Amino acid sequence: MSVFSTYPGQVIVDNPVSVPIEHRFDPYVDNGGTLLSISGEDFCVVAADTRQSEGYSINSRYVPKSVKLSNKTVISMGGCYADCLTLTKKIQQSMEWYQHAHGKTMSTAAVAQMLSIMLYQKRFFPFYSWCILGGLDEEGKGAVYTYDPVGSYERESCRCAGSASSLIQPFLDNQIGFKNQESNKTKLSLDQVLRITKDSFTSATERDIYTGDYLEIFVITSKGVEVQKMDLKKD
Amino acid sequence: MDTLVSKYANAASSASFDNADNLGDNLSGWDAATKFALPAFDIPMVANPTDFLRAHTDASAENRIRIQHGTTTLAFKFQGGIIVAVDSRASGGSYIASQTVKKVIEINPYLLGTMAGGAADCQYWERELGRRCRLFELRNKERISVAAASKILSNMVYDYKGMGLSMGTMITGWDKTGPALFYVDSDGTRMKGERFSVGSGSTFAYGVLDTGYDYNLSVPDAIELGRRAIYHATHRDAYSGGSVNVFHVKETGWEFIGNYDVGELHWHYHAQPKGVIA
Amino acid sequence: MTSRLPQAKGGFNFDNHVRNTLMEGKGLGIPKATKTGTTIVGLIYKDGLVLGADTRATAGPIVADKNCEKIHYLAPNMYCCGAGTAADTEMTTALISSQLELHRLSTGRQARVVTAMTMLKQMLFKYQGQIGAALILGGVDINGPHLYTIYPHGSTDKLPYVTMGSGSLAAMSVFESRYVANMEREDAIALVQDAIEAGIFNDLGSGSNVDVVVINSEKVEVLRNYARPNERGVKEASYKYAQGTTRVLKSSIRDFVDIKETVHVTTTEEMDIS
Repeated sequence: MSVFSTYPGQVIVDNPVSVPIEHRFDPYVDNGGTLLSISGEDFCVVAADTRQSEGYSINSRYVPKSVKLSNKTVISMGGCYADCLTLTKKIQQSMEWYQHAHGKTMSTAAVAQMLSIMLYQKRFFPFYSWCILGGLDEEGKGAVYTYDPVGSYERESCRCAGSASSLIQPFLDNQIGFKNQESNKTKLSLDQVLRITKDSFTSATERDIYTGDYLEIFVITSKGVEVQKMDLKKD
Repeated sequence: MDTLVSKYANAASSASFDNADNLGDNLSGWDAATKFALPAFDIPMVANPTDFLRAHTDASAENRIRIQHGTTTLAFKFQGGIIVAVDSRASGGSYIASQTVKKVIEINPYLLGTMAGGAADCQYWERELGRRCRLFELRNKERISVAAASKILSNMVYDYKGMGLSMGTMITGWDKTGPALFYVDSDGTRMKGERFSVGSGSTFAYGVLDTGYDYNLSVPDAIELGRRAIYHATHRDAYSGGSVNVFHVKETGWEFIGNYDVGELHWHYHAQPKGVIA
Repeated sequence: MTSRLPQAKGGFNFDNHVRNTLMEGKGLGIPKATKTGTTIVGLIYKDGLVLGADTRATAGPIVADKNCEKIHYLAPNMYCCGAGTAADTEMTTALISSQLELHRLSTGRQARVVTAMTMLKQMLFKYQGQIGAALILGGVDINGPHLYTIYPHGSTDKLPYVTMGSGSLAAMSVFESRYVANMEREDAIALVQDAIEAGIFNDLGSGSNVDVVVINSEKVEVLRNYARPNERGVKEASYKYAQGTTRVLKSSIRDFVDIKETVHVTTTEEMDIS
């Protein structure tokens, strides 16, 4: 006896039969954005746009990608924002523990090696993050450390990562590294580096849909870390 | 697979003194140097972690985590020791991630490792190898043999076989037996040899290396052979390039010979008359 | 001259369809068509209708064209905004435009908007969504102003205000809050501009400028780049290369050869024009 209408041959099931459900664990999203770092003789510039997006939508026009870790070190990260946030907090916590244990601030080189190990710790469940560490080394010279998502790292003179990296990196190779240029291979001044940084981002904003809104530039010198902000296009 | 996962997932807790019952067991053979530093890796909580990693690092994955790859490396023994030569390009997919990678890893003043496959895998495990070699020295008051060092590396990565590590390396050095050269990879292979080339450009390098090789080569000629073999590999293999780094392993330890931009080398070799292949 | 081989009958060629599906399955990407991740809108006001569009064309995450035209001419009294695959919207509207002109010539009458709508939907339905054209069709005929949306699979809507493309939600939120029937011309254009700008600023697939077309029974106004809210800033540095920057691999210098030419005038016979 049933309240539902039936037809000949219909099978009435008392309990719904469980059917296999496809489970997929996909913990990564790309939140876009671009970051770059350029080292000079006695300074280091770390810059990133502040747009955070998902698909065709903007989550926020102002979410900083760079964090000051000490008076000599700044970290910048792009990729999956959740992973970047976790990683930043892990670094900050470890640096505080180091401070308490040794009574001194971690050097840029020490943070660099530590970050490599932190990333490799998750070799089988990687952080989806592009990291660039900028700062001053023990001699006071500008230092840029770059990472792949599982912790391979290298010290370089300049690097761009994130959604517009393939647009900006060739430009930096040419203007900072003087690739394919025969003459004028000189060290650039802070003013020149800042101009190149700003032009990189205004140009990338023209052609990369994930880059825009604001540009935040961290300038690291022996005097400490200074932050500059600049408008980028918002379309 | 479950046992494998639980083994690695619990590595952190077994190294600590949290569990008082296990304290005695731990103390019998406990060794701070090995226990504390046992790497404890985070494993995704899914039925098959290996498939998870592959799904997110494969070319078809939507949010592809690009692990840097691509290389030409070589090393060969000769009368003057060992020459190690490598390129310096790292690529993630079709993108050249870097042209300035240090693919010769200086494990310690008399041991060198080369980098092919996953850049992070080589860097991390060869650093770990360096640490263990130092511990060996402190315990035994003598330097570790190249055979033993390469076996430590081989055993370490063999523990993770099938989990997605990618490493093809040559461990070279000079010990009591003289110059030694071993090939070690993440599959678990470990071979002693006279002449190796590893990486996507290895076939091209072998072509030059085997043609010009002679055990009685002078040191400058051997250096030139290594450099030239890498140059020709970078010329034909899209995943190799940048510059050539050359090292010479001698009885007194290794010596860095130089860094040569392949762009400059191209015109240097271009100007030379072509040799006769007899 | 006849051939035993099957003759091409014109139309689309599907030869590579199976191959492309296979390649995609293997993870090999096929060349990407330029998609106009777009905001397009239209609304009916007192005397006629206003169409609007942004001007960004994208290829994946890259902006392919910063100032493209998305409002296409269809007939003297009709325009059509296109979203989706750029080539498909352009070719579809051009094809229908041609047929409408032939229709006008053979009937001797102005084409009606419903005719264009029917031709478009029949064509798109025939190709089962394979032609990626999402359109907003607007025009004025003897029955007054008409505004239609046409989806890639061939379905249509007739509404007083419409939006389409990836920025359609942003634009529609503006329309839903501020649209009223029988607006004045200036108010209608301002509302369309705001709707398009909502798409430009909030949808990553849309950007750059605002194009507007106003159609009423009197005239058609094409207001290309009606608003330009995204001018590029001035660059901070100059990137001119000094002479000698590029390496010289080989140089070969030749002297000009001085060729002296003389023209000999020869008399010819007069042309016979008798």
